[in-house]
Amino acid sequence: MTDIVVTRGLVKRYPGTVAVAGLDLAVAEGEIYGLVGPNGAGKTTTLRILATLLTATSGQAEVAGIDVRRNPDAARRVLGFMPDVFGVYDDMKVWEYLDFFARCYGIPGARRRRMIGDLLELVDLGDKRDAYVQSLSRGMQQRLCLAHTLVHDPQVLLLDEPASGLDPRARVELRELLRELRSLGKTIVISSHILPELEELCTAVAIVDHGQVLTQGKVADIERQLRFGAVLRIAILGDGDAIEAARAHLEGDHRVASATVLDGGVIEVGFRGDDEAAAELLAAAIAAGIRVASFARAASDLEELFLQVTSAGEPAQGRVA
Amino acid sequence: MDEAIVEAAPVEPVDGAGRSPARRRRSNPLRAARSGLGGITAVGVKELRGRARGRRAFVVLTFYLLFLGLFAWAWELVAERTYVQNASLQGGSAAFASAQVGQEVFGALILIETLLVVFLAPAFTSGAISLEREKQTLDMLAATPISSLAIVVGKLFSALAYVFLLIAASIPLTAIVFVFGGVGPDDVLRAYTVLIVSAIGLGALGLFISALMQRTQGATVVTFFAVLFLSLGTMFGVLFWNTMAGVNRGGLVAAQGVGPIRGTAPEALLWFNPFAAEYDVICGASDGYGGWCSRLNTVTNGAISVTGYSGGGVLPTPQAGFGVDNSGGGVIAPVPAIPAAPVKILPDGTVVAIDNPGAQVPFATADPQPFGVRRDTFWPRSLRAWAILSLVLVVASIQLVSPTRRWRWLRRPALGAR
Repeated sequence: MTDIVVTRGLVKRYPGTVAVAGLDLAVAEGEIYGLVGPNGAGKTTTLRILATLLTATSGQAEVAGIDVRRNPDAARRVLGFMPDVFGVYDDMKVWEYLDFFARCYGIPGARRRRMIGDLLELVDLGDKRDAYVQSLSRGMQQRLCLAHTLVHDPQVLLLDEPASGLDPRARVELRELLRELRSLGKTIVISSHILPELEELCTAVAIVDHGQVLTQGKVADIERQLRFGAVLRIAILGDGDAIEAARAHLEGDHRVASATVLDGGVIEVGFRGDDEAAAELLAAAIAAGIRVASFARAASDLEELFLQVTSAGEPAQGRVA
Repeated sequence: MDEAIVEAAPVEPVDGAGRSPARRRRSNPLRAARSGLGGITAVGVKELRGRARGRRAFVVLTFYLLFLGLFAWAWELVAERTYVQNASLQGGSAAFASAQVGQEVFGALILIETLLVVFLAPAFTSGAISLEREKQTLDMLAATPISSLAIVVGKLFSALAYVFLLIAASIPLTAIVFVFGGVGPDDVLRAYTVLIVSAIGLGALGLFISALMQRTQGATVVTFFAVLFLSLGTMFGVLFWNTMAGVNRGGLVAAQGVGPIRGTAPEALLWFNPFAAEYDVICGASDGYGGWCSRLNTVTNGAISVTGYSGGGVLPTPQAGFGVDNSGGGVIAPVPAIPAAPVKILPDGTVVAIDNPGAQVPFATADPQPFGVRRDTFWPRSLRAWAILSLVLVVASIQLVSPTRRWRWLRRPALGAR
């Protein structure tokens, strides 16, 4: 498989700040690739550079072998871009919306009509053809916006936070849709600041912070890496003394950095260790007679995990001033 | 108007990388033009669909025509009454009276339509780009191969389409002046040319401000003040200038002036006043003697005058156009023999050249000009200025819309498209 989206040493500087600081990406053809990072990490900037909406200060960005800076028009024809806050036009019907964008790509009339029907079927909006865009639900608008990126049958889709603000059902539908698009041979690059949002969806992710890629690879690998250093929430049964005793026991483990008692008999444990180590901790606690009601990782929010990952001496250079 | 319109450049199979640059270049200009046209069509069709949706557009049109008709009728009654009551106007033939009414109605209708254009054209365009920016649809648009030129021009003309419709719908109503006479078809043609060019210019102004500002609200406010400045501000500027320089009162107190404010105000001050050019046309229709000409004279206390003569016949003053330079411009060129050198008038009434106070400047008395000769001097200059300004504003807007702010006219079509 060849890399279809490539950035090399991509830098985008704004006055007083560096949004992207030497970002290297390599997205193989046919992947659903997630760019994950906290807000302000440079994900959107990267996507906008790839979508030819911004010019990089330095570095290279290629889509399907086309340099987006030197040949933006050609690049625009092989990629579809969906912004994070996608707009809908007022006073416009669903088919007109797609027709408009198809015209922008210079697609002839007969093909336009056929393609609009196909696309609406694909995103499951076939019966909404004559509905007004603003009357659609958010999930439907999202799918319509996704359909607009497909009018010219691009090889690469760049989707900025496509799942944000969607209810779970719409999210599932979006996931199905993206999988279908992947099976049609599209390469999809998605950004998100929530890792679980991507973990079922993406085939690979890159963790981005401060304009740099911290790590990239398969989702499962990344997650394992991240979980090394997580927050555990352990609910203990028993009175205050029992809980205090449990806390003391947990704190005795060398992998536990901190243990704090929260309301309702829950102890929050700062833990450095992988799943294996967590299992050992649980086994030891039970062996010590502690009545564990639940044992779970608290940190599913990427930013929380990030605080731990990045505090462990991650990139010193390239930080935003 | 859906499918019949020019299709954009035919897209090509995915061999862009492999194609020789030479071939690409050869096929470029025509393709580029066609794709540009396709882009303009895309934006235009989209905008027009939105605008013509529902009944609103047609209800507005109906009420507009009703209002315009009522106004024309009312003004006709006013003109008739004025003629009957004004002894100085009486004595002419019935044809003269009718022509006077025709000219009055013509002026009233054209000025009202100018007012409409001044309000509507910038209002329709001042949100055109900023709204797209607010909704982030501009990004979606910019990520397509459509050119910035197509976005800007498409937006401009689709926004103006409704204004043009209103203008066109008023033509049959304006034609009522032919019943009265006094106004020739060429006058109507002039008036409508000025209307349309002003609409484009003001529309381009609104569009530029819209592209410049981030928010529609700000763009609307700035556009409003810009239009206010152009229509009232410039007029006040001339009024101030001419009053301070003592140009009114038949030039008897001429050559006073304060600092650089000497002589008649530069004509260019009024080039971008949408009413000035129209006023010139209206006044020209009555050869500089109509009620509309004297009205402005009265309102501005003679500081801005478009009449052929002023100052009670003391001297024919170079009141060309809007009391502007003596290049013979304006409604009437009353004095072909106006000296080219700046002059001042001495207390005893003699006129001397400022450069050479010793020499008396010979003044010819006004040569009555045949109807229509040398009338068309101010408004063509105003239109030329508007045309240049519109072009500049459109080019600037293209730059502001272009995501990467590079000079890019037409996007190269195809190339690796599918």
